[in-house]
Amino acid sequence: MSKPRVGIFGLTGCAGDQLVILNCEDRLLDIVALIDVRDFLMASSENDAACPLDVALVEGAVASRRDAERLRAIRNRAKTLVALGTCAVWGGVAAMDRGADRRKLLEEVYGEAGLRYDAAPTQALHEVVKVDLNITGCPIEKDQFLAAIAHLLAGNTPIYPAYPVCTECRMLENNCLLIERGELCCGPITAAGCNARCPNLRIPCVGCRGPVADANASSLLATLEEKGLDRQRIAARLATFAPEGVAQRS
Amino acid sequence: MKTVVIEHLARVEGHGGITVELEGDTVGSVRFDVFEGARLLEPLVRGKRYDEVAAILSRICSICSVAHSLTSLKATENAFEVRVSPQTELLRELLYRGESIESHALHLFLLALPDYLDYPSATALAADRPAAVLLGLRLKKLGNSIQEAIGGRAIHPVNAVPGGFGRAPAVEQLIELRNGLIEGVADAKAAIDLMASLPAADFCHSDTIYAALRANVDSYYAGDEVAVVSDGGQTIVPAADYRTLTNERSVPHSHARHSRFQGKPFMVGSLARLSVNPGRLSGSLAAPAARLDFRLPAGNPMDNNKAQALELAGDVERALEIIEQLLRARIRDEPPAPVHPRAATGTAITEAPRGLLIHSYTYDGEGRILSADVITPTALNAASLEAHLRQTVEQCAERDDAVIAKRLQMIARAYDPCISCSVHLVRRR
Repeated sequence: MSKPRVGIFGLTGCAGDQLVILNCEDRLLDIVALIDVRDFLMASSENDAACPLDVALVEGAVASRRDAERLRAIRNRAKTLVALGTCAVWGGVAAMDRGADRRKLLEEVYGEAGLRYDAAPTQALHEVVKVDLNITGCPIEKDQFLAAIAHLLAGNTPIYPAYPVCTECRMLENNCLLIERGELCCGPITAAGCNARCPNLRIPCVGCRGPVADANASSLLATLEEKGLDRQRIAARLATFAPEGVAQRS
Repeated sequence: MKTVVIEHLARVEGHGGITVELEGDTVGSVRFDVFEGARLLEPLVRGKRYDEVAAILSRICSICSVAHSLTSLKATENAFEVRVSPQTELLRELLYRGESIESHALHLFLLALPDYLDYPSATALAADRPAAVLLGLRLKKLGNSIQEAIGGRAIHPVNAVPGGFGRAPAVEQLIELRNGLIEGVADAKAAIDLMASLPAADFCHSDTIYAALRANVDSYYAGDEVAVVSDGGQTIVPAADYRTLTNERSVPHSHARHSRFQGKPFMVGSLARLSVNPGRLSGSLAAPAARLDFRLPAGNPMDNNKAQALELAGDVERALEIIEQLLRARIRDEPPAPVHPRAATGTAITEAPRGLLIHSYTYDGEGRILSADVITPTALNAASLEAHLRQTVEQCAERDDAVIAKRLQMIARAYDPCISCSVHLVRRR
């Protein structure tokens, strides 16, 4: 069997999900032996920018016309398109301002020149093209990435936890930051897979992996309000990494 | 007239390109273009509470997410006059070293090394020289293991909060890191040997101005004064006056988009740190420096790669020292120092792997951000990079596009640009 042709791309973001791939130090050379990486600008200066791809891994959000054009071109080349990380899956932190006056913000940060930039309100990949698989996380978790590669090589689709961070946290027998300490923890509505990294360190979950499929945001909101937390503050926190996703589910 | 264009610079973080216009032997415009999408993160944190800011602004960049987080926390703590414990200071410094080890190993081995040996990528290089690539991956992993143990995650640390840490690492974790670092000492030495064996990259000579934090102790995290070194002289800039280094905001309607100090471009990063603090090259780094034929004042920007290799060795050693110190002092789980928000401005400058990083925030009485300003090393370096790109073309005797293009890319990569980071860089496309 010929090796699957793979492209790894970054749109607007912090490159953290591509870095997670490079952080698979123990597996990196094994991975490149199993797949044929044709296009990976962050790691190689010799890329085939046009060949058909079996799998395209795309991180970052769409935040400019250029991003949108690149993404469409990638989609046209790829049999399977994988959204890598919270920005690609949900829009990420930069999507927080989607309702704000973009021109005003551009002018504020970059001066008058900002008004001439190629800049558009931040979108998740699925808002622009069809996405075949989502691997969420800010950044993605290494083992979930490796599992995805293994599954894709075997012709399967990986299945990720359909339960919230809260469940993982309970399994670790941590004291509950939300119930016992009244802290604004997003664990109950955030997709698991990180093994409750933050609450396990006594830090409230900030929701960086985006909402879990059956998130009940209105119930969390009610619980937090009972604890005396301000509604606006709760809403802002829940919307930090995946504003649209949480809005749909509350 | 002809142009040499590097459409999309490879083996760097983020999206940028280089365009050089040539008129016969005369070099016309030289541009380092950035076409990273605008994320506008500074206005986004407006209204956010002090305990939410670091987690959002660390997302500016993955490779320097520790530096962004800790500089953010330090700016907030400076605003509220929070005193963190000596243990917190040590753990933060250790976290910085972890990031620096990872970042330098990533850059030297996966991004820069292929150029010297004429390969398109480290994975291609691994087919012929697996030992060199595996050495780099081991060092990179070592840095990540520190970030994971202390920061709670290798990218976008979660454990560092205003006032301290969520949970201190266990003694067993520190011992495991110590064991890794002891092996890392030999690997760092091998990295120096490898760097010393590379063909010389000597095609850009320049009287460069360097700016770095003036360190009283061997620290990336402590220190409140920037020293700017040029022609053997030194000018000191206190943290609160950082805008004298970054005139980018003071003339908002002009095209003064690059940072200049007294009208001149300056370089930040490893080479600048060693130039400003030459004392770091004494002691255990003296022999490796001699092995690399590394001399100050450095007139070749490619020496930034050598400086990173030297820092890599220094970082492994310093991380080991810190761990010994933490173990001797009997590290304990302590709650973060109390934080009492007030209306105030706080500024912090630290040394990120790529150089000076500045976060400055103004808070209201409730501890909500009124305004935030972030100045990154790649933005500070932009003017200097363009100057060095220009000199590279001017000093290139061969008018062969392929030779010029290769040299331009090597210079750009030597700066280790982190283009996502360059939040203030003006896009010109």
